[in-house]
Amino acid sequence: MAATVTSITPRRSATTAAPTPEPPRRPFRDNPRLILAGIAILLVVLIALVAIANGTSRFSPDFLSEFVLYALSAADLTMLAALVFVLARNIVKLIVERRKALPFARFRAKLVLLLLGMTFVPAVLVLIVGSELMIQSVDRWFNAPMDEILTSANKIAGDYYAERQLLVSDHANRIARALSSVDLGNRDVRPIRDLLAPNVTLQRVQMIEVYRVVPPQAQRGSLPTLEPVVDVAAPALPPGYSRAAADRLAAQALSGARETRSVETLGNSGDLLHAAAVIRAKDGRATGAVVATDYLTGDLAARSRRMTQAFENYNQLRVLKRPLAGVYLSFFLMVTLLILVGSTWMGLYMTKRITRPVQMLAAAAREIGAGRLDQRLEPQSNDEFGSLVEAFNVMASELATSRRKVERSTIELERKHVEVEGRRRYIETILERITTGVVSLDAAGMITTINSAAGRLLSLDRRIVGQPAMAVFDRADLQPIAKLLTSGGRTKGEPSAQEIAIPREGQELHLAVVATSLLAESGASEGAVLVLDDVTPLIRAQKVAAWREVARRLAHEIKNPLTPIQLSAERLRRHFSTAPPPAKALVDECTVTIVGEVESLKGLVDEFSQFARMPSPRTIPTDLAQLITDTISLYRGIFSDVRIDQRFAPGIPLVRLDAEQIKRVIINLVDNAIEAMERRGHIVVETQLDPSNSLVRVVVADDGPGIPPAEREKLFLPYYSTKRRGSGLGLAIVRRIIAEHGGSIEVGNNAPRGTRFTIELPC
Amino acid sequence: MNVQPRTLHLLRVFAVASVLVAIVHAEPDIAVTPIARDGQVLVTFDMTDAFGPDVRDAIQSGLPTTFSYEVELRRVSALFDRTIAQVTMTASVRFDNLTRRYQMSRSIDGRVEDARPTEDQEAVRAWMTHFERIPLSATAALEANGEYYVRVRAHTRPRNAWFFWPWGGAILGHANFTFIQ
Repeated sequence: MAATVTSITPRRSATTAAPTPEPPRRPFRDNPRLILAGIAILLVVLIALVAIANGTSRFSPDFLSEFVLYALSAADLTMLAALVFVLARNIVKLIVERRKALPFARFRAKLVLLLLGMTFVPAVLVLIVGSELMIQSVDRWFNAPMDEILTSANKIAGDYYAERQLLVSDHANRIARALSSVDLGNRDVRPIRDLLAPNVTLQRVQMIEVYRVVPPQAQRGSLPTLEPVVDVAAPALPPGYSRAAADRLAAQALSGARETRSVETLGNSGDLLHAAAVIRAKDGRATGAVVATDYLTGDLAARSRRMTQAFENYNQLRVLKRPLAGVYLSFFLMVTLLILVGSTWMGLYMTKRITRPVQMLAAAAREIGAGRLDQRLEPQSNDEFGSLVEAFNVMASELATSRRKVERSTIELERKHVEVEGRRRYIETILERITTGVVSLDAAGMITTINSAAGRLLSLDRRIVGQPAMAVFDRADLQPIAKLLTSGGRTKGEPSAQEIAIPREGQELHLAVVATSLLAESGASEGAVLVLDDVTPLIRAQKVAAWREVARRLAHEIKNPLTPIQLSAERLRRHFSTAPPPAKALVDECTVTIVGEVESLKGLVDEFSQFARMPSPRTIPTDLAQLITDTISLYRGIFSDVRIDQRFAPGIPLVRLDAEQIKRVIINLVDNAIEAMERRGHIVVETQLDPSNSLVRVVVADDGPGIPPAEREKLFLPYYSTKRRGSGLGLAIVRRIIAEHGGSIEVGNNAPRGTRFTIELPC
Repeated sequence: MNVQPRTLHLLRVFAVASVLVAIVHAEPDIAVTPIARDGQVLVTFDMTDAFGPDVRDAIQSGLPTTFSYEVELRRVSALFDRTIAQVTMTASVRFDNLTRRYQMSRSIDGRVEDARPTEDQEAVRAWMTHFERIPLSATAALEANGEYYVRVRAHTRPRNAWFFWPWGGAILGHANFTFIQ
């Protein structure tokens, strides 16, 4: 027996306060008690029908041919309609299910067809064969010998009655003729009785009743009546005899009716055969009537009745053969239809009972596959399906437990992932913000990350991520890094550091590169990390510091002998003031030269001293635009062929700076520009705001001849000058001032021509 | 139309067979004659071809045999005809095979009007199928020059119905008349 699985119900928490809804009513097909009750009612109906069919002979033909046959036919048609409906409905359902590709639709269709085939074909065959047998057996009821026997028996009984009636009629006629000469109106009836007595005593008849005609009264239209005169009866007559039948028959005979005989049944006592005859006078006038009665005993009458009854029953069966056969065939058809309807319904029901648990298992499996692991099936049987459902529930429970563990692990992993992600973002942010370049490589030598600083320092963009590092660093300027990586790979975890110089836009970029191999716990290489530090400012500072020391020593060593040299030269000039003119002229010329050069050397030494002893800037918030305006105003009207424009970006905040030093920087740059343009051209001084980097830029651009890239880095070195005059310390001082303000200065080409100095100051 | 000789022959055979079947199985019919006399609508009707072998066999077998007639006087109407009067006549007979007598009876609307025995089968046929001057309605209920008809529906019992579809139709008789006063 298939398991009955009512529904898929997710397990709910027992703590829910809401009232539990009333369970849905189970349909009839899911209620075995109702099914059994229905089967019992059907059986009772069938038994009743069988009883009715068996007892139809006791009912009237109308009951058979109308009520029973009608009821059976109606039941047949109803069941046929039910069968067609059930079949059509389920065929449509199967077609729809198959079109919708519902699970088990094909299986259900096959199962239903199989069950129908197994029941339909045998049932129809049994119906056909059984009907034929039934019709033949009904036909066999009416065979010739039986027909002959019953007809003969009926004829014997009927002839006997007819003969006895004929005899009684003859006696009645004979007695009537004998009484024709008797005065029936005489009060003395003894002669009549004497005349009649021999007929009774000789048992010709059992009773004789004589009537006389009473003439009609004076009223017109009245008919003659009969009046009993005398009756003679044998003592063998049964009790309970009445004269009514004889009186009626006498009157009937007197009226001239053809029917002058009658049979009076006394129940079990027998039959009375009456015959009437009219007594007529010699002139033909009716004077009376005589009724002769013969008695057939109860046994004889009963036997005759039984013979006739058998004949009548036989003939009635023959007459009602068709409706009778119809009743049996209808009943047979009804049973067949009952079987078909029942088997069809049962087949469909069993199919559903078989497929539904599987369907529900499949549905529950789909639910579990979709992640709803709280699905459970409710087994209602202890058979294999029940075990299957139980195993399914155990599986679902274990899956749910595993799922919970996995979920807990997932949550923990997610938490860790979030933590790691946060850390990664933190490190990434740091890497993005720091000026140190970081490039990481995987074990295969592919670049996995590169931060902005590294990209900027190495002039690489992020598209190199995923490319082999050796291919990327194969570029001419980056080959030192490739060599470092190669050598770092051999050191096995020991960081290898190297300072390399990379040409960048005509300048040298000094990078301190450290390559560190990443080793797993097993010692296997997991890649490498390149850390790049821009040490160019440091080197510059070191150079500046070295130059300052040189300048300080030069100033100290040179300045000290200059004053005695100058004084000595002036002393010589005074001593030779009285000398002859040629000598005096020579001395004057020499001493002037010496004093001039000493003065020049003093100026040079002063500049060196100033460079060496430049004070730290005292910064205060300053309006940079106003400072530039004030500075540029110094040039107003001095150089007629030089045009100086100012462009200030809006919204520039106050910048902490030493106004005097920055003023000196601007003057130095503008002087250099005017000198480079040979005092003819166009200079632009502008400010720019970079809020994302918290920087303010001051740009001084000219349209002079420009500076070759090779010369640009040297510009900021002390004692380097492209001018014929000058100490070569201007731009060195400028760089130092800007550096001490925490900024930077770069030189580049101006578009379309000229030089462009860009100062970046923090704001 | 070109008809093959063989097809023509088959059609002829079918036609002859149909006529023979119609003759052998003559359908019962009811001849209805309504008359108005002495302030009454009287109906005489006679059911022909109803006393066939089946009915005779049924009577001879001793089965009580009944012919019921529903006689209706109806007024012709445009939509639904209206019944003016209705009478149900019943004629029954039972044959006693022992005494060889027929016991006949007639009733009108369930009321036994007459009963008599007979030995004559023809008398039985007439008793069962022929009704003379059955009073149906008073002419006072009729409208002058009105169109009426008398419909007689006969049912015979026992029904010798066949298997599976026992519902047979009634035998119908019909006669129109115009009531002229």
